[in-house]
Amino acid sequence: MRVSIGCDHIVTEVKNHLVKYLENKGHEVVDNGTFDKKRTHYPIYGKKTAEKVTLGEADLGVVICGTGVGISISANKVKGARAALVGDIETARYAKENLNANIIAMGGRIVGVGLMENIMDVFLETEYNKTPEKEEIIKKIDILGGNEEQSNNENFFDEFMEKWDRGEYHD
Amino acid sequence: MKIVIGSDLKGFKLKELIKMHLVQLGYEVKDLTPLKGNNYYDATLKVAEYIQANKEDKGIMIDEYGVGPFMIANKLKGIICANLFDEHSARMTRSHNNTNMVTIGSGIVGDRLAEKIVETFAAANYDGGRHQIRVDMLNKMC
Repeated sequence: MRVSIGCDHIVTEVKNHLVKYLENKGHEVVDNGTFDKKRTHYPIYGKKTAEKVTLGEADLGVVICGTGVGISISANKVKGARAALVGDIETARYAKENLNANIIAMGGRIVGVGLMENIMDVFLETEYNKTPEKEEIIKKIDILGGNEEQSNNENFFDEFMEKWDRGEYHD
Repeated sequence: MKIVIGSDLKGFKLKELIKMHLVQLGYEVKDLTPLKGNNYYDATLKVAEYIQANKEDKGIMIDEYGVGPFMIANKLKGIICANLFDEHSARMTRSHNNTNMVTIGSGIVGDRLAEKIVETFAAANYDGGRHQIRVDMLNKMC
């Protein structure tokens, strides 16, 4: 399978571990970064990772940040993305089987590495069990939201990056 | 800050428990699905649309797994929703992501843990500062 993966700077080493794990299992991995520990912003990587899936360049996606929350929200805000934030295997299975979830999200500071590996395995292996009722709810999720201008637009966040560079976002 | 809460049938019992817990803690709680029989799609939209119109308030949505409502809510403009199953994430997501809504799976999270998660979430505050760039990015996405 072709798996798109992304993370923020808090959990880069966890993501690198998961990339190796997936490759050892025979999957082709598209690594969207981030690639180091330099402070960056999770929506950049959530959006990139999700768009690889929604635009058909990858089959499924994996996103991680500290809690998994921020990056999974950004992935979900991509049109056609259905990201499930999970901390256990059963929820991952349910999300794939019933909602045909196309992205799995976990907190790199919340879930242990063994459980993360197992969650990814089950997420990739579980098949969507298609029924008219499930198709109906998925259709109703897919029509919601998603700013059309953002699709595959690398400059979508530029206005905020410029503000950041000017030092306007400070603690 | 008011807390609005909703559930489908499978989340109804936990919703009632959480409502009582928050009221005992002194929060003003508004139940948007007081009767059984809502499906999670419609119940989630009720909670999320309320938060869109009342930006100071926080929303909670309960169904069996939390993931369906999490997908639905985050598709809506201005909604930043976390599916929660531990107290640490409850505090961190409030302080870093400016989360305005949470989902909990009644089939996944036990009663006592669910109470502590919402208690922690309700008491935490947003840090702002450097975190705001990420929140601005999310809100531009939808």
